[in-house]
Amino acid sequence: MKLDRDQVKSAEGQPGKAVPEARLRRKQAGDWLKQRRADAGLSQVDLAAKLGLKYYTFISQVENGFSRVPTEAMEAWATQLGLDPASFARHLLVYYEPELHRLLFGAKP
Amino acid sequence: MNVIAFERTRIAGTWSDAELNTILGTLNDGREWDTGLTENGDAQLYLLGPGPDQACELCVSRIGGRYILEDGAGRLLFEHRSLPLVAMHARTALRITRWSLVARIVVVWCTIRDVIHDRIEPLLEESEELLVLLTPQLAAFV
Repeated sequence: MKLDRDQVKSAEGQPGKAVPEARLRRKQAGDWLKQRRADAGLSQVDLAAKLGLKYYTFISQVENGFSRVPTEAMEAWATQLGLDPASFARHLLVYYEPELHRLLFGAKP
Repeated sequence: MNVIAFERTRIAGTWSDAELNTILGTLNDGREWDTGLTENGDAQLYLLGPGPDQACELCVSRIGGRYILEDGAGRLLFEHRSLPLVAMHARTALRITRWSLVARIVVVWCTIRDVIHDRIEPLLEESEELLVLLTPQLAAFV
């Protein structure tokens, strides 16, 4: 992720505020997605085009950890990255809903 | 002759202070926000929801001098070269989001009231009737 550290600040100019855990986990998911996309040899623009998006900005939004892959888009997202949709969804659940993942699949991902 | 220095609109790279002020000044609701860059170096501004999740509710991106407004699920809401116009659409979108939350709360409240009306009130009425029936007998017994 290419976050500009000079610009990373919260509203009303309060730099250095603690980042919530949910946000950190989404960032980890974003890093994982970015790596899988790189493995598939796709740019953000390529992936957006394959997913039928007009702009590639949502891919960046997800990879930067600010949004999730929508459930309804998981299958297409996985397919375009050459991954099994079930494994893809299960892995994302580790970050997005860790407690649900633990209940469904056990303690460790 | 006086020459007015207009700030040149950026077409790539991080947000300028003027751009950030335009968006955040228009919203003016004290919400959390953050910035980032796409893989190609295009600027993004994320308007975040309340904690602890702090998920992105709206995202403004600048691609080649064009501003793109999307929601947190990637739906394209608006696009234009004018940032003030995009900022105004962002403000409207956030208000709609807030009103939809209020509507949901009202629906839940009505549902709870209906449940109380349909299930709990008959039970209370039944006990009241029983009490009315038994009270004279109990009084006579005493």
